[in-house]
Amino acid sequence: MAKREDDLRTPGELLGLASEFNAGRGSYCHDGKIYASLVGIRHLIEAKQGSDDLRPTIEIRREKERDAVPEAGSTVTAKITKVQARMASADIVCVGPRAVKEKFTGIVRQQDVRLTEIDKVDMHSSFRPGDIIRAEVISLGDSRAYYLSTAKNELGVVSAVSVAGMPKFFLVSTKSATMVAVSWQEMQCPLTNQREPRKVAKVVT
Amino acid sequence: LPGDVVFDLAAQAQNKVLRLGSGLSQDADRVVAIKAGRLNHAKSKLWVEGSQKRYIPSAEDSVIGIVIDRRAEEFLVDLNAPVLGLLPILSFEGATRKNIPNLKARAVVYGRVVKAHRDISPALSCLDASGKGSGYGPLKEGYLFECSTGLARSLLGTPTYPVLEALGKSLAFEIAVGVNGRVWVKSDAPATTVLVSNAIINSECLSAAQQHILVQKLLQAAK
Repeated sequence: MAKREDDLRTPGELLGLASEFNAGRGSYCHDGKIYASLVGIRHLIEAKQGSDDLRPTIEIRREKERDAVPEAGSTVTAKITKVQARMASADIVCVGPRAVKEKFTGIVRQQDVRLTEIDKVDMHSSFRPGDIIRAEVISLGDSRAYYLSTAKNELGVVSAVSVAGMPKFFLVSTKSATMVAVSWQEMQCPLTNQREPRKVAKVVT
Repeated sequence: LPGDVVFDLAAQAQNKVLRLGSGLSQDADRVVAIKAGRLNHAKSKLWVEGSQKRYIPSAEDSVIGIVIDRRAEEFLVDLNAPVLGLLPILSFEGATRKNIPNLKARAVVYGRVVKAHRDISPALSCLDASGKGSGYGPLKEGYLFECSTGLARSLLGTPTYPVLEALGKSLAFEIAVGVNGRVWVKSDAPATTVLVSNAIINSECLSAAQQHILVQKLLQAAK
């Protein structure tokens, strides 16, 4: 149950006492007092029934929705750009259901592709450039890329195009070569019936 | 030529397995050539062989590479191909963690392509499939020159290339041929090395008889 108060707060503004309130998102506690750390609307959230702490929580929420940014633990949709011996690079396209406005790069390391037999993973048999994958952000990684993981059943390649469907300049292929998942290890091309290895995601419909 | 339809799968009543080698691609129900060259047919395998200057890595090829650099776990090797090859530092005969081959830049190695695909850097090895050296490894001293991929394959093919046969009768030399268009020759006398190299380079378009004559002339001139 959230009570909405229509007053705009600015960073550094005193919101209340720590003895009366809990500091939620967008606020912090200092010297027994709660101050705002964002520009936004103050929200008051009642304490949960049955919890020890009866203090309501103060939250500051921005007015405008910020652009989607990957965070640790979020599920992202990415497109593989490069496959190397021990890792694969991908461009993060969506965070959850929202498309990103600027490009983020992610890396799937060999040990994060799947849960079992992680030292025998062959990157080239798990992903190919151009594949669309669903992955989870493990950490913010280094300055160049987020660290992604596909080590769950529902993570992995969601959509891929087969070798036969790759555009060739002198062949006119009008049929789509988007592959169909056969197992968690293989996908099959509808044009040539050839199977290609991938780490396939188990998409629950 | 690229684009030529080689085989119409729909037209043939097939229960046979047809394997496609390099230079061919399957376009729905047709097999189309994607390289220029001669179509070869052996048992149930079809492939196109052409001669180029540039090498496109393919699995199970024996190649001569030049070491460019060393990374943590592998050597970067130039194969006269669009991408550098990766040669793991332990993929040598007798190599252990404590005994890593000390290959510097510009060292020449004879190796085997383990895995090659258009999306990845080719993986190399200086061991054969059973883990033994069998001729692979660093090539010390000697002389390295480049030729076309077609000539390299002829040098390695059966029956023995006429020039090699003729030279082998009169001269003593060591030779290694990489299908990536590189040949390495080593012998005691520089004159012999030069003679062998010249003979090979000039023999590309000659018939067997012409090649024998070429070798005779070179040997005569050397005396």
